[in-house]
Amino acid sequence: MDVKIPVLAENVTSGIVVKLFVSQGDDVKQGDDLLELETEKAVAAIPAPATGKINTIHVKEGDSVKVGQTVITLAEAGEKAPAAAPSVAPATPKPQAAPAPAAPAPLPEIPAQKGSLQPAGVPPPAPPSIRKAAHQLGLDLSRIRGSEHGGRITWDDVKNYIQTLERIAFAPKEGGAAAVPSARKAAPEPVDFSKWGPVRVQPMSTLRKKISEKMAESWTTVPHVTQFDEADISVPQRLIETHGPAYQKQGARLTLTAVILKALAGHLKKHPIFNASINEAAGEIVFKDYCHLGLAVDTEQGLIVPVLRDVDKKSLLELSKQIQDLAARTRERKIALDELMGGTFTVSNQGGIGGGHFTPIIRTPEVAILGVGRAVERPVARKAKIEVRPILPLALSYDHRLIDGASAARFIKEFVQALENFEESAVAIGGDKGKKTQQGTAVKGKK
Amino acid sequence: MKPIKTELVVLGGGPGGYAAAFYAADKGKQVILVEQERRLGGVCLNRGCIPSKALLHATELIRQARHSGNLGIAFGSPAVNLEQIRKWKDGILDRLSGGIGQLGKARNVQVLGGRGHFEGGRMLRVETQEGQKFIEYDTAIIAVGSKPAVPKAFDLGNERVMSSTEALELEDIPKDFLVVGGGYIGLELGTVYASLGSSVVLVEAMASLLPGVDSDLVQPVMRYAKENFREVRLNAKVLKMETAKKQIKVTFELGGAEKEELYDRVLVAVGRVPNCNDLGLENTQVKTTDKGFIEVDKTLKTRDPHIYAIGDVIGGAMLAHKAAKEARIAVDNIVGEASVFDSIIPAVVFTDPEIAWCGLTANEAKEKGIAVKTVRFPWAASGRAMTLDRVDGVTKLVIDPESERVLGVGIAGHGAGELISEGVLAIEMGATARDLAESIHPHPTLSETLMECAEVFYGEATHTVAPKRNTPAEQV
Repeated sequence: MDVKIPVLAENVTSGIVVKLFVSQGDDVKQGDDLLELETEKAVAAIPAPATGKINTIHVKEGDSVKVGQTVITLAEAGEKAPAAAPSVAPATPKPQAAPAPAAPAPLPEIPAQKGSLQPAGVPPPAPPSIRKAAHQLGLDLSRIRGSEHGGRITWDDVKNYIQTLERIAFAPKEGGAAAVPSARKAAPEPVDFSKWGPVRVQPMSTLRKKISEKMAESWTTVPHVTQFDEADISVPQRLIETHGPAYQKQGARLTLTAVILKALAGHLKKHPIFNASINEAAGEIVFKDYCHLGLAVDTEQGLIVPVLRDVDKKSLLELSKQIQDLAARTRERKIALDELMGGTFTVSNQGGIGGGHFTPIIRTPEVAILGVGRAVERPVARKAKIEVRPILPLALSYDHRLIDGASAARFIKEFVQALENFEESAVAIGGDKGKKTQQGTAVKGKK
Repeated sequence: MKPIKTELVVLGGGPGGYAAAFYAADKGKQVILVEQERRLGGVCLNRGCIPSKALLHATELIRQARHSGNLGIAFGSPAVNLEQIRKWKDGILDRLSGGIGQLGKARNVQVLGGRGHFEGGRMLRVETQEGQKFIEYDTAIIAVGSKPAVPKAFDLGNERVMSSTEALELEDIPKDFLVVGGGYIGLELGTVYASLGSSVVLVEAMASLLPGVDSDLVQPVMRYAKENFREVRLNAKVLKMETAKKQIKVTFELGGAEKEELYDRVLVAVGRVPNCNDLGLENTQVKTTDKGFIEVDKTLKTRDPHIYAIGDVIGGAMLAHKAAKEARIAVDNIVGEASVFDSIIPAVVFTDPEIAWCGLTANEAKEKGIAVKTVRFPWAASGRAMTLDRVDGVTKLVIDPESERVLGVGIAGHGAGELISEGVLAIEMGATARDLAESIHPHPTLSETLMECAEVFYGEATHTVAPKRNTPAEQV
């Protein structure tokens, strides 16, 4: 049977084979990872769809592959593998790690562009005016994927293609291998930094390029305002201390992040505009009746934001377990692409690292993001007395097209209250016994 | 004698040649156009497209009148005045040719009447009525066209054995008329003579009329020919022709047996050959192929760096509109604007009904192994076709099932030649079936069949019930 690249996620049509786990002739069990694919969103492992023997490997590491492309031919258990696959040299059992061709290649290959390829023997779908211009410019239109229905090539497609070519042509040689073909604007002219001292050049990973693209898009299209505030987290801290061991027994770690997410879920119900999106084309606001919260995770390769589904419907225990699992899998880049999508609001908690207020960038099409800094003990006035309390810096960036300053101020003020008065019933495993009395002490409680 | 110097000389004043001369003049070139005949316009205007269409239109009145009884309007037998038909037809040719002359004059294109002969890579000798003239040029374009092929065995020196040139002169209405060749010329002229009252027999060596054309498009014409010709003989060969008093004795090979018949006139329409002889090409670096066509590269330049060639003389589809497009490409390259031929060439056969197609045909798709989905809309479902009493038609689209792009269009039916241009535009613009289906076509017109055909692709045509989409790509 042929193993094909499955549909990984919406809008993901291609990827790069970063690692092959199997060699020709290997026996694999159903579910074994065959290869690892890096897409613009994440790294995904492609599992064996059945138990059997690897017959032929059609790709090598570094290859760009498209959804639906056959990557491996698998002889299913019971099915006879051809005695010796004639087309593949059996003497090289190891997958070749794509030996980089040394000198030639004046221009690196343009990565496969989105859109459908035309069948062989059929000319590219472009009007005569564009074909004539392309001929005069010496462009091969069959390498350009048109953006319109049926892959029709427009003037904009040609312009973007030329800009991409130019960017690649002027990029440092080692880093030129993978440009972002979909980027709309031409890159600024490169600066020769080596004029002022030695430099090292490293290609941007697909992930880094995607982050850079998304951030630039959000920053340039969304008018951001960031609202700062601070919360006294004595109560949550005490609750974590009190109930932490019980959570631990269940194999979960109760963290401030989990508490913040839980508090946010309830809070967003009261402020649905922060859980909404703008549909510019239709001139509509889309309110989402679900609450899927993105959680920024710092990984070796860069920022990745997995999404926790239906946070409002989950207990803090479930949430704690899920955060742990999701964060771990994200750091190992074993996260499925679907788990990165569909977020309605995002939290970026830098508390684990340190730092105060910062101005997070909204993850479009979401309209707000909460940045959390590190809690520090500070003297505060309480009932005319100076007390030392753990104070948590909060920063809410919001899309000012949709959300007014007053709404944001109310949102953050009420959120601070919700956090400061977080109910023990929501923390205690198994219900809301004795919530009143315990909360009473909690408010006054000190670390 | 001192040669005349010019930037560009165009040899041949047909639809390729005069188009090249005019376009070059528009681009600022100094141009001389050399034509050996009295009238500009070449075969197209004088012995091809235009006179044949005039005759087809004139005789269409007869064909329509024959069927108008169904509609409740009956005419008596037509009174045919051959002299008047010829006069009318020739009047058109004079007007058109005069118009071309004026258009040339207005552009300062110098027309030199006479036969051209290359003396070298940069020198053309022209035999004019005032004697020899020499033209020293920077660049030359050869656009000398083609002529009917007459196999030696049929060349009796008897005027009753005609090529299309003589047949268009309409000398008389032969009682028994044989057409040799089931291509578009044989079919068109066979239709003219059959309408005028000749008893027409058509023979074709291959298994079908219009070899190469998709069979479903040929079908309506085959039906017409079977009804209106005495006989259509496929897989048949003419072995011999002899003069037999005022007739021609023709020997056929039919199913292994020989058969002799007498005809009053015979039209030989078995193809066309390029006019490459006696041009003095041996004095240049121009090379010809083994079939006698001039070899050109993609820019239409011959092996001689100063000489380009366009039209029938370089082979391919021998059509005026192909030559005219090539004229522009050659001139573009001459004036330094890179250009190559990458257009689709529509074809129209002006039979009854007409057949027209462009882009990829179903046959070609099959040969090239391109997976396509072919969809058809029968004209029996068209209201307009019914009001014209012409439901004998079909419109079809050849579509790439992946991208939904229209790759080919074929139409058989009344006025197909006028309808095909929408198909050309759709293909050239890279339109998808969805684009055609979503464009409003006026009702009631035959053009709606293109829109509905595109709807058939999606299984949602209003006036026909089609199977749902997502059937696997078929190769028809």
